[in-house]
Amino acid sequence: MRSNEPSTTWVICPAFNEGTTLGRVLGELHGCGYQVLVIDDGSSDATSRIAAASGSTVISHPINLGQGAALKTGIEYALAQGVERVVTFDADGQHRVGDVAGLLAALDREQADFALGSRFLQRSRTMPLLRALLLKAATLFTIATTGLRLTDTHNGLRAFTRRGAAVLRLRQNRMAHASEILADIARSGLRYVEVPVTIDYTEYSLSKGQRAGDFLMVLLDLFAQRLYR
Amino acid sequence: MIAQAIFSLLLCGVLLYAWAEYRRSPAVASMSVVVSLAGLIFIWVPSLSTGVAEFVGIGRGVDLILYLWVCISLILLLNLHLKLRTQEERITKLARAIAIANTVVPSETVTTLSEVPGRQGASSRPAGAQTSPMRMDDQIV
Repeated sequence: MRSNEPSTTWVICPAFNEGTTLGRVLGELHGCGYQVLVIDDGSSDATSRIAAASGSTVISHPINLGQGAALKTGIEYALAQGVERVVTFDADGQHRVGDVAGLLAALDREQADFALGSRFLQRSRTMPLLRALLLKAATLFTIATTGLRLTDTHNGLRAFTRRGAAVLRLRQNRMAHASEILADIARSGLRYVEVPVTIDYTEYSLSKGQRAGDFLMVLLDLFAQRLYR
Repeated sequence: MIAQAIFSLLLCGVLLYAWAEYRRSPAVASMSVVVSLAGLIFIWVPSLSTGVAEFVGIGRGVDLILYLWVCISLILLLNLHLKLRTQEERITKLARAIAIANTVVPSETVTTLSEVPGRQGASSRPAGAQTSPMRMDDQIV
């Protein structure tokens, strides 16, 4: 039987058509004793079935809403269940389960409410040059718009305390949510810390990831939000 | 004369629309009234637009109307975009509420999870409003 301890930390795994990698990722997470909440974002493949079979809690969006919306669904549900800490973890296999413990430890050690994974605090041998440049640009953009001095602004591996998760509005359904999370962290004035994590770039994770052109759409989304409210 | 009559009719239609729309959105309605009245004046007194254009330094009256038209279109486009965004947010809330109401909880953890207040058991459907994790008020309003 599970003890009370792991259920106070939930790993939220947004997944959209991740049937090929999800089973392995969930297996590793459960193997380390984490309680996992999978948000199936309107997948057309076996994502939802694989998640349920792995023993995860599964919430399925009836239609595809985007990763930001999936994270919000997961965080909202987890907070309603009285969870103390949430971890966000991409389903495409680019993160290492071993890094989760480091994030959680950093929350405790630094008395922080946000622990953000960074792939630039240690060397990654598999990162393509174009991706590195794109992420560098995103870093400068973040310093300019939020004042947060981070080395990696678009890393899907993060840990929040309950208090931290509650300040995230996540109104950007699509990819702009990564910048939005940082803006909310800056606005909240709560403590954040960066933790080195390793990203495994595979052909699969690169094909599912963002392309350089998406950057323009993200900017447009963020601009529209400024006008909107 | 024929063109003037047709355009006047169209603009009168816009005026009627603005009148009907006034209660829903006074700003859009008053803007439509101003634009269509200006249009009516320009249709029946074409020389006036040339006068105004020369006054602001554009040259031909047609050019003035063209520029104004482009501006109005862009404003309408923006308005439409914002409306779509609002729509998307409402759909998101609705979809999220449906999704959370249908949460599938792994059966092996039922005993531990049922101790948590506000959580129903292994059932994938909410048993009742007070035990549902959906929290309808927070979600929809």
